[in-house]
Amino acid sequence: MSAAKYVYGVVPAGARAPKTSGIGRRRLKTVADGKVAAIVSDAPADELQARRADLTAHSRVLERARAEGVVLPMRFGMVMPDADAVREQLLEPYAEELELQLRDLSGKAELHVQAVYDEETLMREIVNARPHIGERSRAIGDRPSEASYYERIELGQLVAEAVEQARTADSEAILDALEPLADMLEIAAPSHEREAARIFFLVDESRLEEFDAAVDELGRRNQGRLRFKYTGPLPPYSFVALPEEA
Amino acid sequence: MATTVQRPGGAYVQRSSSGGLYEIIDVILDKGLVIDVFVRVSLVGIELLVIDARIVIASVDTYLRFAEAVNRLEISGGDSEGLPQLMQDITENGAQSKTKGVLEGAKESLFGSDDDEDDEQNERSRSRARAGGRRGK
Repeated sequence: MSAAKYVYGVVPAGARAPKTSGIGRRRLKTVADGKVAAIVSDAPADELQARRADLTAHSRVLERARAEGVVLPMRFGMVMPDADAVREQLLEPYAEELELQLRDLSGKAELHVQAVYDEETLMREIVNARPHIGERSRAIGDRPSEASYYERIELGQLVAEAVEQARTADSEAILDALEPLADMLEIAAPSHEREAARIFFLVDESRLEEFDAAVDELGRRNQGRLRFKYTGPLPPYSFVALPEEA
Repeated sequence: MATTVQRPGGAYVQRSSSGGLYEIIDVILDKGLVIDVFVRVSLVGIELLVIDARIVIASVDTYLRFAEAVNRLEISGGDSEGLPQLMQDITENGAQSKTKGVLEGAKESLFGSDDDEDDEQNERSRSRARAGGRRGK
């Protein structure tokens, strides 16, 4: 009986399934067609959920596969009816595109650089550079928020604009330092108020140490005002794509 | 639980080699190859959380919180401080809890109902920090 397959990613034909277990601790296999193959496991019997263990298994399989060679990650949640469908709906129709991307992404890693403001330091920078913001704030003083609601919103808008300007300047500084070391990059939209920048880089493995040092230097230069979080090497999640139509 | 080799982190940067699900969850859910007709997991709620977080950055809540943050500075620190005083204040107040960003909150609630095996130390401490950050309103 053919079971539905959960698909983790695409590797060159002949590559082995990584030595780890998949979602629901199921065994990993490869399904090959021509020069490309998919890493799959039997899909969970019941409906797939984005639980922590499932998401972790998905990323673990792909990180292991990347460490052992090159892998094109699938988005979380791809289930195909059976192994034949994996060949006929994924590997065969997209063969050319998949081969091309496997070749381009071989020896590359994705790295995430996130910079988060120390809020108090940022607010002091903003107030010191813009006296009118301090004046507005003093005009509000310690009046209760109900009595100064609209003034507070106007003040907050001014601060938000200044934060946006700081984001732009700091993003540019980060890009100036790191872009020359990367093959490609993607700038993510800020995901919360204190985030200065979150950028995904595709970096050749031969330059990883140089990249590490550059990120560290950014951290040193911005010590006390920006906290850097640096994640990777990861599979190239942000640098793969299938064309709309096969 | 990290599956790749830990790379040495620099002194000024918080480094995680992998496995930090928290750092990459939106990437796993949003990036990668996809054939839409074969997506067999309902992510509707999760996508909404992420989108909400991005909209909220330009919201009345954010404005009020920024105003509060500046207002607090002015009351506690006086105006136009010199650099030495400023540095001292930073050191003194650096450990104060801050209100967490909205997406971080969304991620926490996403994981909150699930106590599976692979819990992460830093996620736990974030949750605590957040609970503390809400108090000073």
